[in-house]
Amino acid sequence: MAKDLRYFLEKVKNELPDDYIEVTRSVDPNNFDITAILEHLTKQNKFPLVLFKNPKNLKGEDTEIPVVSNVFAKRERCALALDWPVDQSNLPLSLEYARLEREIIPPVEIGKEQAPVKEIILRGPEADPAILPGVRHYEMDLSPVFTMTLIMKDPDTGIYDITFAKTFYKGSQRMGASIHTPHLERIVNKYKERNEPAPVVQVLGHHPAFYLGSLALSPYDADDYASVGSFLREPLRLVESETWGKDFLVPADAEIIIEGEVLPGEKEIVDPFGEVTRHYQAQCIRQAVNVTAITRRKNAIMQDIFSGHEGHWNLGALPKEGSVFNAVNSRYGNVKAVHLPHSGIGRLACYISIDKKREGDAKIAGLAALLESWTFQVVVVVDDDIDVFNEKEVVWAILTMVDPKRDITMVENVHTVFTTAMGHNKMIIDATKPLDRAFPERFRIPESAMQRIKLDEWIK
Amino acid sequence: MERIFWVKCPKCGGRFCCDYELRHSNLKLICPFCHEQFLDAESPEIDERL
Repeated sequence: MAKDLRYFLEKVKNELPDDYIEVTRSVDPNNFDITAILEHLTKQNKFPLVLFKNPKNLKGEDTEIPVVSNVFAKRERCALALDWPVDQSNLPLSLEYARLEREIIPPVEIGKEQAPVKEIILRGPEADPAILPGVRHYEMDLSPVFTMTLIMKDPDTGIYDITFAKTFYKGSQRMGASIHTPHLERIVNKYKERNEPAPVVQVLGHHPAFYLGSLALSPYDADDYASVGSFLREPLRLVESETWGKDFLVPADAEIIIEGEVLPGEKEIVDPFGEVTRHYQAQCIRQAVNVTAITRRKNAIMQDIFSGHEGHWNLGALPKEGSVFNAVNSRYGNVKAVHLPHSGIGRLACYISIDKKREGDAKIAGLAALLESWTFQVVVVVDDDIDVFNEKEVVWAILTMVDPKRDITMVENVHTVFTTAMGHNKMIIDATKPLDRAFPERFRIPESAMQRIKLDEWIK
Repeated sequence: MERIFWVKCPKCGGRFCCDYELRHSNLKLICPFCHEQFLDAESPEIDERL
């Protein structure tokens, strides 16, 4: 059986039952019901996968299409999605991600009669995204937003690119698409130069490994369908689209697919939208999309990302931790661990622990890490006795080891991705213990005592 | 850091932020609260401090 979203939901129910919650009461996703429930859970430090079984659609009608959210909110569930042991969901998971990123499994094409996403096909006026339970996330959001991946195809090379990008419902069969990533923009511009509409599809639900694989850092000419196969650990099944036939293949095991065309030269106002940074993305002009078809499973489940929360941040952290570890370690061989914490939205901050041999090692490691991602704004380097997955330890190291006059390096006027107060500046913080002067030693219980004392023999 | 400016909807008074590309663009902004469409110049308040 091909991997899909419902396969994964069953797996979570069976293997991580405390991680699975169903809400059966009617919810109106367009009135913040879903995000308010998820926010309450977050404030209680709970991050379950939540299936909202009875939502309303954008017309305000009860719909048979449930919404699932928070799928990626815990690293353990991301590990489960990649068939990786859930008790190894810190650095080992990230290193496995980096390994999968280097491999491909080519996709396979199947017939329409075998493709679950073809069970219901809507064209023309019926292909109105208002039939879907679109989620309005935050108070200042312009509209409900579909937050899952877009797929586009290069008209010259035929390679497919899969990228997370949001679309805004603008009425009837019209959407605004926030296409602003380098690969998708490149494809859009090629069609624009030809004055032709650019085919685009949005995948509103699939096995989470599909989405994790879409985040793999691959060159423009790499086929993302093959990259995703590596993360699924099986070929991605594809089927011809309704609008373009075999000229544009779409994931056959998706829950819901919106097919559309980016109209050359036409724009739509999109945003504000509460983004990954926890700030609103300001209102702006982006591409207009004309919806041509909607296809789905009979019992489709629509997926949503609870933006600016744990799942969104894990989708930033996991794809980078392993590659940063490999890149810095291959050069300097002294890296113990790498973590992109939630406090840095899984993108802005990078914590690295090293086996420091000499003064300057930390700055070198920090500079090497900055080269690995334009999103990093602060890199903190600590000794290898600090657990970079334990933020309290990292902050302790900063507060006790850092001389701001010596240990903070500013890198000015460089490219950044996110709008923050740091602007186009970045910072490396050497929070390692100084080796060139007398300095206090961190206390510890003798290891022999720690090994000898078994807690359950002392405390019943 | 991208430049933004804040406007106030002339109809409902809701405040929201816009990318500076929309300032003086002659494109109608859309209030996310009441969906009123208006030019930035029609906003009773504009905050565009650097």
